[in-house]
Amino acid sequence: MSIEIIKPGLASSIQDKGREGHYHLGIPPSGGMDQRSLIAANLLVGNPEGAAVIECALMGPELRFDTTRKVAACGAEMTPRVNGEAQPLNEVFEVPAGSTLGFDFVKAGARLYLAIEGGIDVPERLGSRSTYALGSLGGMQGRTLQAGDTLALFQAHGQAVSGRHLPPSLVPEFSRQYQLRVMPGLYAHRLRAESETRFYSEDWVVASEADRIGYRMKGGTPLSFIEREPPFGAGDDPSNIVDACYPIGSIQVPSGSEPIILHRDAVSGGGYAMIGTVISADMDTVGQIQPHQKVRFVQVTLEEALAARAHYQKVLKQLRQMP
Amino acid sequence: MKPGIETTQIEAIRIKIRIETAAMDALMVRLFDTIDEANMAWVIAADQALRCAFGAALIDLVPSYTTLLVHYDCQQMNHAEALGLINKTLSGLEPADTQAGELHDIPVWYDESVGPELPLVAKRAGLSVDELIQQHCNHDYCVFALGFAPGYGFMGLVDEALATPRLKTPRRKVAAGSVGIADRQTAIYPLLSPGGWNILGRTNVPLFEYAKRGEPLFRPGDKVRFRAISREEFEADGGDTTPMEERP
Repeated sequence: MSIEIIKPGLASSIQDKGREGHYHLGIPPSGGMDQRSLIAANLLVGNPEGAAVIECALMGPELRFDTTRKVAACGAEMTPRVNGEAQPLNEVFEVPAGSTLGFDFVKAGARLYLAIEGGIDVPERLGSRSTYALGSLGGMQGRTLQAGDTLALFQAHGQAVSGRHLPPSLVPEFSRQYQLRVMPGLYAHRLRAESETRFYSEDWVVASEADRIGYRMKGGTPLSFIEREPPFGAGDDPSNIVDACYPIGSIQVPSGSEPIILHRDAVSGGGYAMIGTVISADMDTVGQIQPHQKVRFVQVTLEEALAARAHYQKVLKQLRQMP
Repeated sequence: MKPGIETTQIEAIRIKIRIETAAMDALMVRLFDTIDEANMAWVIAADQALRCAFGAALIDLVPSYTTLLVHYDCQQMNHAEALGLINKTLSGLEPADTQAGELHDIPVWYDESVGPELPLVAKRAGLSVDELIQQHCNHDYCVFALGFAPGYGFMGLVDEALATPRLKTPRRKVAAGSVGIADRQTAIYPLLSPGGWNILGRTNVPLFEYAKRGEPLFRPGDKVRFRAISREEFEADGGDTTPMEERP
């Protein structure tokens, strides 16, 4: 009852919903970057919504199954193929024992979530099976998948039904240009007012350094911080602060030049000023943006952020209730 | 709209605490503006008191030198309630006992091959390399905060004479176990990672090994004492003597 990794893809890793509550020890939550797609894939095959799946970034892996399993792939548009034959996305299909599952190049989105009936059996670490590669924790020996790895599977539960699919209203839509909602705050007051205004009115382009730790943005006008006498313990650059915790989603701008949105494998703290935080409802979207795509930041209030979260929760509820 | 900054006061020391909105479900509590060992008793006390007060509504609480980040479950508590609870909890705060932390003995092989900035830091301080090593070992450093990477502890305060700014260009790879200085902070890199601190030597003490301990070695409030060992001792302990290749 296992699958063998023939080709690992670009950065495939085992993820579940992540491990919260250890950030004060320097251990970030990890978990699927697009939680909604991870949950959707698990629910389709009848798994608990937080079962361990394979997160496939930009280029999918090639896997050989030694046992017949039903699977579902949600998230980025990369056509799955069983022994070369195209299979649907967002719909349960069967991979017969001895056959190979591969993926076409990504057409839209950045991360696909492959849920396998029963789920992947790797040991729990601090309450989660998610891989945190920077800390060599969880998943497959604390790292991304490599050719030759064998992943054990839990017993199939027999609940998965081929052809079960997401209702069209719950299939995410991908684009080439995204709007990310941001709650300004923290050290935003250290930005010059005109610089802050410009930050929210320009297009930013995702750099090639866009991974589970963070998304770096280029192409906008460098931000200008108000000069100040650094307090004891802070670095000299005006973008430096006395080292503090970085919330997930927070946007930091080292030296003012390239904003970085921290994601689920973030370093938990450091000495760069954060100018705001991408709202939690939009963090799944961040995980689906490809390098070189455009991003616009939009300021929202606390009330708008909470409303967006309520809407997000409603979508999750619809997924849980889907036929 | 800019989220407002709320203030409250710890009565015992009459410091104004600022509470800022960090995210829709997170508040940054700012106790102080600068790094000071004396502040630790208050940061640790606030950490303990808030952990207790929030209970199951707390997702995580991350203390740092001058701030604490409170991440709460916004399904159990709204923004105003979280603010109110922080105010109520901190107004009557008493300092924690900073002698309660564990003292860690950390053997370090100080050598230019694994600590390329030894000569630079010594020269800036007007000391010989041996005197620098002695000075670095001659102090119990306080663990102010954990972060950056699992097991990484921000420690201080390094003697003012030894204070050295971060490298202009960070190294892409700093070996695991590297002991470094940045300004008046000192730290050990738990894993191979990028970093811009001045590296003085290397230790073989694992700071985060899930299989062995399940949690990091240090906790905020712990004390750390470095002890110089020879290459032979370092090797006998299984230490990796591979020189640091990359020069800044």
